[in-house]
Amino acid sequence: MLTFMQALPGRDSRATLDAPPAAVTRSSAHADQRRRILRAVGELVAKRGYGDVTVELIVKRAHVSYKTFYKHFSGKEECFQALFDSVFRSTEETIRERLAAEPGPWAEQVILALRTLIEWIVADPIIARAVIVEAPTVGPGMHERYERASKALVPLFRAGRELNPRGAELPSTIEDTLAGSVFWSAYQRLIVGEAELLPELLPELIELVLRTYVGEAEASRIARAEANGQPSLAAG
Amino acid sequence: MAAQDGERRGERLSELGPLPGGHHGLSREQILESQRERLLAAVAHEVAARGYRATTITEVVKLASVSTRDFYEHFEGKEQCFLAAFEAVRDHLEELLTAAVADQPDWPHQVIAALRTGLRFFAAEPDLARLCIVEPVSATPTIAIRFREVVLACAPALAGGRAELPGGHSLPQSTEDSLLGGILSLATRSILAGETSELPALLPDLVAFTLSPYLGAEPAAVLAAEARTQ
Repeated sequence: MLTFMQALPGRDSRATLDAPPAAVTRSSAHADQRRRILRAVGELVAKRGYGDVTVELIVKRAHVSYKTFYKHFSGKEECFQALFDSVFRSTEETIRERLAAEPGPWAEQVILALRTLIEWIVADPIIARAVIVEAPTVGPGMHERYERASKALVPLFRAGRELNPRGAELPSTIEDTLAGSVFWSAYQRLIVGEAELLPELLPELIELVLRTYVGEAEASRIARAEANGQPSLAAG
Repeated sequence: MAAQDGERRGERLSELGPLPGGHHGLSREQILESQRERLLAAVAHEVAARGYRATTITEVVKLASVSTRDFYEHFEGKEQCFLAAFEAVRDHLEELLTAAVADQPDWPHQVIAALRTGLRFFAAEPDLARLCIVEPVSATPTIAIRFREVVLACAPALAGGRAELPGGHSLPQSTEDSLLGGILSLATRSILAGETSELPALLPDLVAFTLSPYLGAEPAAVLAAEARTQ
């Protein structure tokens, strides 16, 4: 069933937080320190909540000096923002690469994007918790960043309107609402520590999104095929 | 816009003011009641202005004209004060919603009435919109879990729509949860943008989104259009 849990294309580009440098040059040591600091702040925030994390905890966990930390970041908030931005960028990049590597009908692209997103959450639930659950707690600035990031799926969803003869009549906010539903579902599972249940939810999320654009019968058929691990789409 | 709303609420609070000292002929219960109301109003105002984390008991008691000692007569701490405000709004909103759906002829119109009532309520009370919709997910784990419970408690009322499905049709189990998440997400966007007065304008889109899975896209669109004109 969990056929997608194999080595993922683009996993290398996503593992920017863990990969060790190939050769220890000054710049690669610098990048490695940054990676360790970002990894540390993510793990600490996920475990303790943003409020209880201190620079002291971060430097200890990352095995860097204060001097090194402050070379990279002015403080805790900037550090966490950098983690958020880095995770968002690399997830977006992974999704984009996968869509480019496996071009196909729109519905398939939606499935691929949602599947990639969920795979990332399941593969790294600690960092996912840090950026999905904890980020909104950091204050209005982070919450807005988070809102914007969660809307990144909107253009992809919106392309589905072309498949619907009445696409233009759909509510203008429907894509935002659907993206919100997806992130709400992820958030709910993360907050109770059940990220590993997200893959089971994937077919239902697919049906929710696709139904709006291709109709209930087709969306249901596609979702069921996905749940059964079958190639879900005939041509068109 | 949000700042102006905040100021107006601040003015209203200061109208409540502290009770004059001395024998004012009020019972202890009445004094406590008055203090509690002012504290709830104050925590809503502060959380709306600064967010939960930055809200302090010091500022809350100052705004409420209550002593810190008296604060602790009412609440163990900031979290309990927030929860009390949240529950007070929840109770009030439940009354409003119950009344609103009571005279509706059928399930779709009950949903429309409920959405309309909720949107209008929060449009009229921007502080409470932040307190109840935006802040809980990011306040404390206890508050987030309570928020989740309250939201999920709305699911059975929505699931009543499954009776409207044509024979043999079924919906994914997570449908109600996803719909509620979408509704909250859209409302959150307006609230964060300081546009709570625009919440009622979301009604047609939310009607279409919420009723679609149960009634089909076109009947839902018709009802959405009807909701727009009312």
